[in-house]
Amino acid sequence: MLVREIMKTPVTTISPDTTFLEACKLLQEKGIRHLPVMENGILAGVITDRDVRFATSALCPSPQQGSDPVRSAMSASVVTADPSDPIEEAARVMRAQKIGCLPVVEDRSVVGIITNMDLLDALLRLAGVYDSTGRLEVSLDDVPGELARLTSFFGHRNVNIRSVLTYPNGQGLIRTVLRVDTNQTLPLAEALREAQFTVLWPMPKPWLR
Amino acid sequence: MASVIYHPEYRRYDFGEDHPFTPARLACLMDLLASLGYPISAVEPPVASREEILTVHGEAYVAAVEALDRGESEAGAMEHGLGTPDNPIFPGMDLAARWLVGGTLHGARLIADGADTRVLQLGGGLHHAARAKAAGFCLYNDLAVAIQEFVSRGWYVAYLDIDLHHGDGVQSLFYESDHVLTVSLHESGYYLYPGTGHIHELGSGSGRGMKINIPLEPFTEGDDYLEAFDAVVPQALSWFSPRVLVVQAGADGHFADPMGDLALTTRTYQALYTRILDLAARHTEGRVLFTLGGGYAPAVVPRVWALLYLTLMDLPVPERLPEDWMVKWAHVLGPGAIATLHDPDPPYPAFAGGEERRRRNRNTVSRLLDSLSRYWF
Ligand SMILES: [Zn+2]
Repeated sequence: MLVREIMKTPVTTISPDTTFLEACKLLQEKGIRHLPVMENGILAGVITDRDVRFATSALCPSPQQGSDPVRSAMSASVVTADPSDPIEEAARVMRAQKIGCLPVVEDRSVVGIITNMDLLDALLRLAGVYDSTGRLEVSLDDVPGELARLTSFFGHRNVNIRSVLTYPNGQGLIRTVLRVDTNQTLPLAEALREAQFTVLWPMPKPWLR
Repeated sequence: MASVIYHPEYRRYDFGEDHPFTPARLACLMDLLASLGYPISAVEPPVASREEILTVHGEAYVAAVEALDRGESEAGAMEHGLGTPDNPIFPGMDLAARWLVGGTLHGARLIADGADTRVLQLGGGLHHAARAKAAGFCLYNDLAVAIQEFVSRGWYVAYLDIDLHHGDGVQSLFYESDHVLTVSLHESGYYLYPGTGHIHELGSGSGRGMKINIPLEPFTEGDDYLEAFDAVVPQALSWFSPRVLVVQAGADGHFADPMGDLALTTRTYQALYTRILDLAARHTEGRVLFTLGGGYAPAVVPRVWALLYLTLMDLPVPERLPEDWMVKWAHVLGPGAIATLHDPDPPYPAFAGGEERRRRNRNTVSRLLDSLSRYWF
């Protein structure tokens, strides 16, 4: 999944001379938390709703007036993304820098923006939770060919896999979470066990063990 | 006493050998009731028309079902949820599904016209079917068509779904409606199909607070299920004041069901049916429409639904199953089928984890009631 697939367009931007009052109104009206700041057509900074509120708060050492320009409160060194970046790269950068958004820049112009909310949406899409599905968790040996063996098991039964997530489980094991397009996950789990897979969920009925 | 609705054409709703949603379930049930000395005398409903299907389904979807039924191109089948292991395409499926819808709709009309208050549709309950998609063995949503019939007459309808699975199709078709309260008790969707039915799915627009979900932990036992039911359903009905109850009485929450992990017993089901009739007496002047639904353990489903029938007809519950019936259906019931209508007591060996399951279920109910309290008054 690429940044261009999840980024929001068009982007609401302001200039460094926009006042705090105007910026605040924009944030409220649009229901957003981040405003890229453009100067001479080029990205000059980003200001967040938190920046705006703090800069104008009585708790700020040198509080700004609503009629002051936002220039002094914006972050001028902006981390950006390319539309073709993989989203996990964007997520890694945002997490490392502890920032809530990345303006997406191409040919020096801002063509979109992604926020941590967009990344959450992407996670949900990757996990396949928007489809009617059943969920299976299988523990695989961390060796080549195991995932292929698992997916071909479903292929042979004409069961459509809607999503696969894997993560290391320690001890040379890979935990694999599948969402499959069928009501019949329990019978599938039984068949998987018969085919020597370690199915973590669904479990066998405890009173049959 | 109840009016019973059935048509021999229901048996055409058949996805083929080895598919769990088999019409043999019905044949086996009807034969059990006859062997018990209660042969069904049923009202035969008319088949539902295309127009009646279109009251809840999209035109393009219905046209796709018809085309696939005729054996035309399968392109686009998948986007409508058809041609999958759950919903294989079979010739005559459009008509077969319309028969089931016709039955449930006829039941709704009997009640709406005042001909009867208590109706049992011996079929249907296809609660997963969505506006433009077949899902989880369900082609057309007979429940939604019946509910829509009530709504079109200005009635307020409470839909109660005790199937193992979340009643996602009915919920989504009436998600914004303030005339339809939906309450679904089901095994949590963390693992089980369809994955929805969280407590925060509360409806939207003027239907906000009128869609209620009680997702229960895998292996939840009967007493805990009934506790959750009692904590939510009576309150919800008091608040909503429906004119009729529509109940999807799937039997796949039974502990022996191969599709899921709830641990209900025949006694849980009988207690549920009695509670629902009591609630109907209290809130809807007895008006209640029951359909069947899921249920995939061949030796269980006829017993559970026989209990439903006997309870609705105010008939005594015999202890033993008829021997001739056991012999006749031995090939379906499988080896070791028990000879009593109720499950043995205890039904299964005790197993661990009850305290934690109870804690989680109670917390689910308490968080649900907290969020509902903002809408209830
Ligand atoms: Zn079900």
